[in-house]
Amino acid sequence: MKRPVLTLYCLLVYAFLLAPILVVVGASFNAGNFLTFPPQGLSLRWYVTFFHNDVFMRAIRTSLWVAAMATVISGTIGTMAALYYVQHAGRWKEAVRIAMLAPLLLPEVLTAIALLFFVYAVGIGTTTMIGMVAGHVLITLPFVFINVSASLESFDPSWDMAARSLGADRLTRFRRIMLPLIKPGVIGGALFAFIISFDTFTISFMLKGIGTSTLPIQLFDYLRTNFTPEAAAVSTVSIVLTLVVVIVSEKVLGLRIHRF
Amino acid sequence: MTATRRKGFGPLILIAPAAVLLGVFLVLPYLNIVVMSFRMPGQGTPYGPGFTTGNYTKFFADSFYLLQVANTLWIGLITTALCLVVGFPVAWQLARGNMRFRALAYGLVLSPLLVGIVIRSYGWTILLGNNGLINRTLTGMGLIDRPLPLMYNALGIVIALVHVFLPFMILPIMAAIQGVDPSLESAARSLGASRFTAFRRIVLPLCTPGIQAGCILVFVLSLSAYVTPSLIGGLRVKTMAVTVVDALIDTFQWPWGSALALMLSVTGALCVVIFARLTRMKWKVART
Repeated sequence: MKRPVLTLYCLLVYAFLLAPILVVVGASFNAGNFLTFPPQGLSLRWYVTFFHNDVFMRAIRTSLWVAAMATVISGTIGTMAALYYVQHAGRWKEAVRIAMLAPLLLPEVLTAIALLFFVYAVGIGTTTMIGMVAGHVLITLPFVFINVSASLESFDPSWDMAARSLGADRLTRFRRIMLPLIKPGVIGGALFAFIISFDTFTISFMLKGIGTSTLPIQLFDYLRTNFTPEAAAVSTVSIVLTLVVVIVSEKVLGLRIHRF
Repeated sequence: MTATRRKGFGPLILIAPAAVLLGVFLVLPYLNIVVMSFRMPGQGTPYGPGFTTGNYTKFFADSFYLLQVANTLWIGLITTALCLVVGFPVAWQLARGNMRFRALAYGLVLSPLLVGIVIRSYGWTILLGNNGLINRTLTGMGLIDRPLPLMYNALGIVIALVHVFLPFMILPIMAAIQGVDPSLESAARSLGASRFTAFRRIVLPLCTPGIQAGCILVFVLSLSAYVTPSLIGGLRVKTMAVTVVDALIDTFQWPWGSALALMLSVTGALCVVIFARLTRMKWKVART
């Protein structure tokens, strides 16, 4: 190593980044009733408690359902918008981009509150999941848009013209040329949309109805009053779920994710 | 004829769903919340009939809320500064260092983003609590008698916020440094500039856009952070976002909560504009 001080410094920062995550995973195997150090032996009892806890299991199902809905909707809308942005926006290009990134640029807490009042103002309230799903679509849309438009940047219009001159119709050209090109971007964007939606807090917190808490909300509520390692077990399962999604898509689909 | 028509209307179908979504679920709610902030407080209802500017005069008349905004801005400022100091060398090494484990290091920087904010804040409560890992280790080693006050104060909030938002500082700066041609630096060195001078006069100005983007991102995110201050600060230290959300969830004061939320956002936006002026920022939404 050429610069030992810099390397050491970076290693310390990486340790800092990983520390709280590793601590949560470690705490989940604590056999004691409380989060004590050193742990009172190793055990999987808190995982068993968690899997028998209906409240948490229902929260996981809600989270997965909302994330799936948000991913499908914002994946479709975001991809269409990215196609428009790259190919047809013309002089509106910058305006389209800023509008699509707006949910990312506005403070999430304000968006969440504004949405809450709005769903009450139009009379749907939080008895349906419409508000919650709309909120998740909003905050995941920029990520789909960023990923798909990034994958379209490399698109050369002459390929499309070449196919056209060879007699391919619109549908064929879309299916055989456009789709394979944007596929990695669409899947990468959808993957990020899923993870963001699965982990997001503020939007779900403001727009949750009775019995429609997502996993982060349920965990947060639990943490305000309880100190057992069950929360650590819940967190670890949540982390593992995310990791599985990421690793599977990386290995199977060979993805590159553009977060920025 | 059909070709021109298709060019005229066809593509608009692509943008229509996004336009409708953003119009209905973003623009309308934001207009609505502005109107809401001028409504009368209700008696047993979220808001009453009629309009008033009372919510704003109440905000400016009460030093409690002004102090809290100042406190929130202060926490945001310290968090941003620390993220910059901690993150810059890492961004530098990721961009320039010829290390074998670059992919792994990059993954380490990204990994916190894949873990929910509740879980990460929870991890910090385990580390920083009075009976937490750090205090237990230190007392166990006989270094301290009483636990250090690491949690339920601004210090704990800042530590956790730096952790939560550090990737948002590192990634834009890394991208900016990658865009600076290393040969520019060599040229400066060969002309007799010291390493520090070459960095200060060549590299730093060129990667300023990345630093600005990172700073604004971290600052805005820390202002509207709710989970971390709420879990780490407890009831003792409240930031503005926590006060706003609690005002809405616990007491149902919609007009008052709206005014507070808008004042916080406007103050944050003002800070961003001042920061941009001071650092002579070229306005362009960070190219993604």
